[in-house]
Amino acid sequence: MSTQRLPMTVVGGYLGAGKTTLVNHVLRSTDERIAVIVNDFGEISIDEDLIVAADSDKLTLANGCICCTLADGFAAALMQIRSAGTLPQRLLIEASGVADPNQIAAYGHTPGLRLDAVVVMADAEQVRRQANDRWVADTVRMQLAAADLLVVNKIDLLDDSKEADDLCDWLAGLSPGAAVVRASRAAVPIDVLLGPGSASDAADGRERPAPDAAAAPGWHTVEDLFESQTVVLDVPVPMLVIEALLADLPDGVARLKGLIQAAPPTSADDTNAADAANAAAYLIEAVGKRTSMTPHATDPTQPPPRWAISLISNKDSLPPTWLAERLVRRG
Amino acid sequence: MTTAHTGRSDENEPFVIYPARRVITINPAFPFGEAVAVSGDRILGVGSADELASWGGHRVDDRFAEHVLMPGFIEAHCHVMSGGLWNSTYVGYFDRRDPQGLLWPGCTSIDDVLERLGKAAADMTDDSQTLLAWGLDPIYFPGERLVARHLDTVTGDRPTLILHASGHLATINSALMDRCGIDETATSPGVARGGDGLPNGELHEPAGMMLAGEAFADMMQANRSEQARWRYANEARNAGHTLLTDLGTTQLWDPEQLGNWKKVTSDAAYPARVMVAMSNLFGATADPAELAELCVKLKSEQTDKLRFGIVKLILDGSIQGFTARISWPHYYKPPPGHIGNGMWLTAPDQMADLMEPYHRAGLTVHCHCNGDEATEAFVQAVEQVLERYPRWDHRHTVQHCQLTTPDQYRRMAALGMCANIFSNHIYYWGDQHRDVTVGPERAARMDACATALASGVSFSIHSDSPITPLGHLHTAWCAVNRVTASGEVLGPDERIGVPDALRAITIEAARQIKMDGEIGSIEAGKLADFAVLEDDPLSVDPMALRDIGVWGTVLGGVLQPAQISDV
Ligand SMILES: [Zn+2]
Ligand SMILES: [Zn+2]
Repeated sequence: MSTQRLPMTVVGGYLGAGKTTLVNHVLRSTDERIAVIVNDFGEISIDEDLIVAADSDKLTLANGCICCTLADGFAAALMQIRSAGTLPQRLLIEASGVADPNQIAAYGHTPGLRLDAVVVMADAEQVRRQANDRWVADTVRMQLAAADLLVVNKIDLLDDSKEADDLCDWLAGLSPGAAVVRASRAAVPIDVLLGPGSASDAADGRERPAPDAAAAPGWHTVEDLFESQTVVLDVPVPMLVIEALLADLPDGVARLKGLIQAAPPTSADDTNAADAANAAAYLIEAVGKRTSMTPHATDPTQPPPRWAISLISNKDSLPPTWLAERLVRRG
Repeated sequence: MTTAHTGRSDENEPFVIYPARRVITINPAFPFGEAVAVSGDRILGVGSADELASWGGHRVDDRFAEHVLMPGFIEAHCHVMSGGLWNSTYVGYFDRRDPQGLLWPGCTSIDDVLERLGKAAADMTDDSQTLLAWGLDPIYFPGERLVARHLDTVTGDRPTLILHASGHLATINSALMDRCGIDETATSPGVARGGDGLPNGELHEPAGMMLAGEAFADMMQANRSEQARWRYANEARNAGHTLLTDLGTTQLWDPEQLGNWKKVTSDAAYPARVMVAMSNLFGATADPAELAELCVKLKSEQTDKLRFGIVKLILDGSIQGFTARISWPHYYKPPPGHIGNGMWLTAPDQMADLMEPYHRAGLTVHCHCNGDEATEAFVQAVEQVLERYPRWDHRHTVQHCQLTTPDQYRRMAALGMCANIFSNHIYYWGDQHRDVTVGPERAARMDACATALASGVSFSIHSDSPITPLGHLHTAWCAVNRVTASGEVLGPDERIGVPDALRAITIEAARQIKMDGEIGSIEAGKLADFAVLEDDPLSVDPMALRDIGVWGTVLGGVLQPAQISDV
C-alpha cells in the first residue's frame, strides 16, 4: 500500500450553484482516478447534468471512478472505496447544498487522507439574494467563508463585466483568504481546481471545454480568464524564500504547485544563502490561502524530477515575472 | 352456553370477558366500562360483565379484576436503536430500565460512571472485545470532564468507547486511542485536547468519532439485528405500549433490515406492533419518487403487526446541541464560537419539492422540526404542496414541534396537520432550556400542548427513545405537570389535564399514523390492544402518574406480561 496520502477535495455551495456540473467537469477533464462521494442527504439534485441516474449508492462512472453517497457515514463510504480494487488518486466530495463545507473538510484529517482544498461554488445570478435570504442567509455566508477556492459560476448570466467585478469584490469580502475565480457552466480549468499538471493528457495539458462552453451567450466567454507562470529551479532555494512566498500570496493567485529542493540557511547570519549540501525535496502547494509544504520522497533509481514552481492566477492580476522575482529576491 | 342471535361470524369460538377495576376506553361516547370482551384478536365490546355475557358463549378471566385497562399506549416517535444500544453498558444520568426489566440506576457522578465501567470490564471474558457504553451526558457534570485518563483507571488495556447521550460525541480510553493511532500528531478538529495540548479521548461529531473505527461501527451495526428488534418491543411491553413507530432509522431498501422486521413481527410472541417509517436518510436513493413507490408497495404488503405508510424527513438539528433552527433572537446563551443559529439538514426552499412525491402517493409526511424556523419551513411546504395537489386528510405531522408558535399552530389546524410534541424535554432538559438554550420566556412556551389543544391541532407526545426512555406514563406526566429535573414547573400555562394527555398517548397518536380506525381506543371491533395498569391514571395525584405500575399489555388478545427483574 502506498504511503502517499490521498488528496481530498470538497465541493460545496448552495443548491443550484453548479456543484454536480463541476464534479462532472472534473471527471471529464482529468485522467486521475477519482472517487466521488456525494453527501446529498436525500436532497433533490437540481443540476440537470446528473452524475448518474442515482439509483444505488455505489456505481461505476464512465471513466471508471466510484461514486458513493455519504450514507451510513463517511467511514463506510471510505471503506467501500478502499475495498473496490484499484485505489483512487483523489477523493472528491460533493457536499449537500446546505452543508457546512468545513464540517466535511474535517474528514480530511482521517489517517490516509490529506485535505487539498475546499472549493465553494456560487451562482453569480442568485448568490446575492441567497446571502440575504430570510432562511438561508447564514448558511450561504458560512459556506462562502469556508472556501479556499471560490468559483463564481454562471458568470455569463450577468449583464456586463462591471457587474461581474462588483460581485467578485463583494464575494471576496465574504470569503476572506479565498481565491475568487470566474466560470461559466462550472468550466474551471482543471489545473486551477486540482493543481497544475492535473489535466488530462488527451487534452494536451489544456482544459477540454465543456460541451458548448464556447457557445455560451452573453458578454463573456470563459476562455482567457487565467494565466500561468512557471519558474524552473535547478538549484536549491533557501527555505526562507519559500516560506515567505507561501505566507504572502496575493489575491489573484488561484493555485500554486511546485516540486523543489529547499535548503536551510548556511549560517544564522546569512539566512538567504542556501546550504545546498543539506537541501531536501519538498512538494509545495497553495490554493487560496491554504498552503502546504510536505517532504517529497525521490526515487534514486529514476531520473530526477523537473524542479519547478507553477502558478495560476486570474488574468492581469500579476505581472508575468512576479514569481521569478519572488524567487530570486534576496534580502 | 347460549349461542342464539349473535352476529359474530366465529360464534363457536368462546370469547373472553375481562372484568376490570375500570376500563378507560378513550371513546367519548362510552368513556368507561367495567369489563371488556375479547374475541380472537379483536374487541367484542365494553360494558358490564353481564351486558357482555349476552353476546353468547364466553369464559370470564378475572386476572385483571384489580387492574385498570386502557388502550395500549402508542409511541409515534422512537427509534429501533433503543433496542440495539442495550448491547452496550448504560452510563446515563437518569435511572433507566432495560428490556429485561432490570433497573440501571443513573450514574450521577463521574465516579458512578467509572464504577459502572469497571464492573462491566471485569465481567467481560473475551480479552479482545471492546467495552462499549452509552448515555453519558456531561451537561450534568459541570466542572470536571470525564476523559481517557479517568477511563484508563478502570478499563486498563481493554479498548473502551462511550457514546454520549447527544449522539454527537464519544469518549474513548487510551487503549482505544493507541489502537486507532490517535496521538499528539492528530490533526482532526474532531479530536479534543486537554489543558496539556494532548488528545484527551473525546471525539467530536462524525468526523471525529469515525476515527474510533470498528468500535463505533459495531455499535451502529447492533441496531440492525433481530435481537435489537426484540429488545425494542420488550421494553415497549414493559411500559404498557402496544405500538412503536420506528421513525426513520431503518433502511427499508436493505433486504436484511426489512427481512428482520418481517421475521420478528410474524412471530406470534413478538410483543408490539411496529410502524416503520420510510426515510430519505442514510444512503437512500436521492429520488423521492422511488422511495414513495417503495413505501406504497410495502404498505400493500403490510400485516397487523408490521405497518408502513409514513415518511420521515428532517429539517434541522437539536435545541440542546444548538443546531435547531430558531427564529430571532435565536439562542439565549450559545457556547463561544457558535455561529448564531442552528443548521439546516434539508434546504427549506426545497422542502415542498422533496415532499411532493410522498404527498401525491397518499403517504403521510412526518418532519423533524425542533426549532420554530424549521416548523415554519415545513408548514410553508405543506401549504405549497396542497396548493399544487389539493388532498384531504393528509395528516402531515410536525415531529418534536418544540418551539412551534401559536400562529403556526393555527395554520397547522387550518391545513389539517398534526403535531407530535416532545414533552419529555421539559423534564430532561427544561432547566437547561430556561437557563442556557432559549431563555425563560421561550422555555415556558416550549412543547406547548395547551396551545395545540386550544388551536384544534391533533397532537401526540413522544419519548424519541433512546434519546429519553420509552414510557407514556412519563411523557404524559411531563405534559400534565411540566416539572423539570430540578423540580421547577416550566410554563404552567402550557400544562394540560390528564384526560387530554391520555388521549395524546392513545387515539391521537394512532390518528397521526392513520391507525385510529383500528387501535387507540377500546371499542367494539378494534384490535384488542390494552395497557394493563396497577392504578387509575384518572384518580391518582397527577404528580404520581409516572409511578403507576404496569402489569404489561394485551396485544391482539394475547397476554403480554411485563418483565420486571428487580430484586
Ligand atoms: Zn428527530
Ligand atoms: Zn427521533
